[in-house]
Parts: sequence; structure tokens; C-alpha cells
Amino acid sequence: MKEINELNLPENFKYSKDHEWAGMEGDVITIGINDYAQDQLGEVVFVEMPEVGDTFETEDEFGTVESVKAVSELYCPIAGEVVAINEDLEDAPELVNESPYEKGWIMKMKIADPSEMDTLMDKAAYLEMLKG
Amino acid sequence: METTTKTTPLNQWHRSHGANMANFGGFDMPLWYDTGVKAEHLAVVQSAGIFDTSHMASVLVTGHQAFDLLQYCHTRDLSSLVDGRCVYGAILNDQGHVIDDAIVYRFQADYYMVCINAGMGTAIADHLASQLSAIQKEKADDTDTNDSTASVDIQDLSGKLGKVDIQGKDAARVLQLLLDNADAVFEKMPYFSFKGHFDEKSPLAQGVQLKDGTPILLSRSGYTGEFGFEIFIHSDSVVALWESILTAGAPFNVIACGLGSRDSLRAGSVLPLSHQDVGPWKFMNHPWMFALPLSSDGKTFTKSFLGDKALLDPTDTFYTLPFAGDNLKKVASGPASLVLDEKGEVLGTVLTCATDMAIGRHEGTVLSIASPNLPEGFKARGISCGFIRVDRPLDVGTRLVLQEKKRKINVTVVSDIRPHRTARRKITDFLEARF
Repeated sequence: MKEINELNLPENFKYSKDHEWAGMEGDVITIGINDYAQDQLGEVVFVEMPEVGDTFETEDEFGTVESVKAVSELYCPIAGEVVAINEDLEDAPELVNESPYEKGWIMKMKIADPSEMDTLMDKAAYLEMLKG
Repeated sequence: METTTKTTPLNQWHRSHGANMANFGGFDMPLWYDTGVKAEHLAVVQSAGIFDTSHMASVLVTGHQAFDLLQYCHTRDLSSLVDGRCVYGAILNDQGHVIDDAIVYRFQADYYMVCINAGMGTAIADHLASQLSAIQKEKADDTDTNDSTASVDIQDLSGKLGKVDIQGKDAARVLQLLLDNADAVFEKMPYFSFKGHFDEKSPLAQGVQLKDGTPILLSRSGYTGEFGFEIFIHSDSVVALWESILTAGAPFNVIACGLGSRDSLRAGSVLPLSHQDVGPWKFMNHPWMFALPLSSDGKTFTKSFLGDKALLDPTDTFYTLPFAGDNLKKVASGPASLVLDEKGEVLGTVLTCATDMAIGRHEGTVLSIASPNLPEGFKARGISCGFIRVDRPLDVGTRLVLQEKKRKINVTVVSDIRPHRTARRKITDFLEARF
């Protein structure tokens, strides 16, 4: 397991209390699980993703990440409509471990209210939460 | 179970090789290394892997009533066990509940070793000692003589003995490079036989030695369903053996494997985990009925043993069945996961649920990455599998739902899980040239 100071948490993303990351481009956000989550879960063997067109409210479960050790639910950090899912994860779920912020992204959503991004934590606030 | 956390002689090796460690049976053990559970699981099915199993306990039982004691305390009928062979069974209490599962090794008519699970050495040694009076009473009743010279020596080897398992089809080729006179050792060495001794003072220690003269007990057994060996060795020599296997095995892609892959490999091979799949309930109606001394009609036993009457009493009986999921999705092992029939009625609980990553479905059939003539495009995506404990018998093919909180997966009762396993194949199948 990584120590907190070993975690890779890019400054340009926001983080949820459920250890997801979100990056915004226009009114579309990309969502994945962050380095802390992938490290805690261990080797990811399956990612259950939503379908394009599904809509979710904030805190709705939108999928699961299954590792050799555990099954973890994914909770939507911001309300919106799914516009893309990462189909590469079907054959290569390990991308979530290897490249959580790039090749291991999980879904893209069109969000109704961009100001909701402000409800998520920046890196410093997220690290504070982890340190408890 | 003992409570303080213990370590095996390989603890520093594990920690300096990126192992993810956790407590198992009171020992600080590796779950997996940097390679990951999936790679470790696949290595054992494709080539070979090694496991530190030094946490397991062994008890020597010797003396002229050793046979009588084990025949009374172990579920196998040991009267057909010959020197150099071992058998799997269980040690029960008088309620027919499992204290631990155990492999009994027969060196000689009055000399046995019982291999049990982590932290169980003291408990099993004490249990065996406590049953001595029962067999001595029986003997005295039978012969009407007071056999005061009767004796059994019970020695817990915990802490003195290490163990390394090498599992997978390349296991014999790797050991061939490390054993003195390997050809003679491998001759006439079927599944569940053993040779040699870990104690240099034993005359049997001449039987199997490493090239540097270290004596070992080499057993053709394991806990993965794949061809291989369990090696018992003095704890001082474990690290050297481990490193020499990895060096000799490097050309075969042999890697160190943790308890995570050991668990998924054994689940896919329909092997129980003691205290999880067999435990404090009656040892009846399960996939391991071969471990009971059933008579040919299957209704009585060929010997009397501790717990036998309780087993034949049909009340308070559960049914343990293997299952396979539709895909790799799993639920947690343990009683928090329920077993439901298709109407939603709760039938029991999940004992084990793990994912065998070496198998997948192709047109309705389960295939393994080691299956012959794999169809083009076959991909082993993994299938969840394990054991359920329910309140009624169920036929193979019965569809069930396993539920952990909100999560549900669909599974089927099966008779076997990972196909084309190699555990029972002949050594010669794996010693000949590959091409």
C-alpha cells in the first residue's frame, strides 16, 4: 500500500469523498477512480460501467469496480448524462491500476450545472480528508 | 488459534520483494507480490509458482499405538495406507464437527506425520493426546488385558519445520535441477505419495536430498489442483531452498505466489479451506465425501472413529455444494452473503466466493487457458466460484442467486470448476522434452 505522500493526485482534477476524480472540459466531465482508490482496491479485474444515455443524480451508484480483493461501488460525484464510457476497460480492466487518470478513465458525463464542480475537493482538501 | 502474530522464515524475503502482507491464521503472510494475483494464478496453470506454506503446522505421531490413535481421530480408513503414501481427511470432535482438515503421512507402521493448518499445531497435538485414553480403554475392553506399556509420542513441529509448495506443470523440471539423483526420486512417485525426511537424523533422510545435501520430505501433493510438490524442510533451510527454486525456475517463468492466488486456485479446483468451507458443523453431504470411510452402500462406515455416530444422525445436517458464476463477478465470502433460489427464498449462506482467472466460457462450456485445442478467439475472462452451504440437497445445474447487500450474482450448482487440471497426471508427462 502507498503512503499518503506517495499518492499521485494531479492538481488539475477535483476529488470526491468516495475517491473518484473528475476533470472538466466545457460542460463534459471525465470520471475515474483516483490513485488512492486503485491502490487500496488492488488489482482490478472487472469494471461494470453504465450505458451511454444513462442519467444519474449526485451520489447515485453508476457502476462497480471489482478487484481480486473486493467489490467497490462507484458513486456519481455530479448529476448528469453519460456521453461516453471507456470501452477499453472491458478487455483491459488493469488500466484502472496502471493509468488511473489517463487510459483508466471510466466515463464522461454531460453535466447540467458546472458550478457543482465546486462541491468537490481540490488536491489539498482531499489530502486533508485522507489524513483524517 | 494462537493470537500473537507470527512470521515464517521467509518474512523478510516477502517484505523486501513487494509483497502485500496480511494476517492469516495468526501469521504475517504475503497475499500477493508486485506481479499481482492474476499473474500468479495464471503462472501456476501455465508454468509453475511457489508458495511459502511454512505457516502450516505438522505433528509427528509415533509409537506402537500411533495407528490406533489416528485411525480413531482421522476420517480416512488408514488400514489401507502404506509406507510412503499420504491421505487427505478431517479431524472431528464427537459432534462430527471439523476441528481441522489434515493430511496423514505414513512413514512406517508406527510412525506418522499429520499436516494441519496455520496455528493448529498445539490444538491438534492436545486433541490427539486427549483421545489416547479412549483408544486405550477400547483396547483394554477388547483384549481384557491392561496394556500399560501402550504409548504414543505426539510432537508438535510448529516453528521447527518450514514448507514450500511448488505447483504447476514445470515443477518437476525445476526440481530436477535442484535434487540429488532426481531421476531416482521421481521414479514411482504417484499423486499423494512422498519420499525422504526433513530430519537429517532419520534414516529416511537419505531418500531425498538437495544437491548441497540438505534433506527434504518431498510430497506429490498441493492445494492448487495443478501438478506439483509440497516440500517439508528444516526451517533454517527454507530461505535457501526458496531462492534456489526461483533461480532454477527463472527460465520456466516460475514466480513467487501469495495466498490470494492460492485461494483462487484451490477454489477453482473444488478444494475446501479449513475453518471456512469445513468447520464447526457436521462433515457430511459435501464434495469431499471421499475423505470419509464410507462402506460400499454409502450408508455406514468401514471403521469406528470419533464423530462417526453424529455424522450418521440425519438431523442438523447442511449440504455443501460447489458453484460457478455466470461471469467473473463475485460476492464476499462468508455468512454476510446469502444463497437464494430463483423465487427469492433464502436457502443458506456463501462459504467461499473467489474468481478463477484462468477459465472462461465458450459456447456454454467452461474452458481453461490450459485446455487442449482452444478455439480461436477464446479469452479466459475469469469465472467466480466457490462453495455454498444450504439447508437442502440441490441438483447440479440448479440456478441460484448469491446476494451481498444490494449486489446479486447469478450462479449454477456444478460438480467441478476448472477443467483440465494437472494434479493427478504422471510425472513423466512433465519431464519429457516440450517439443
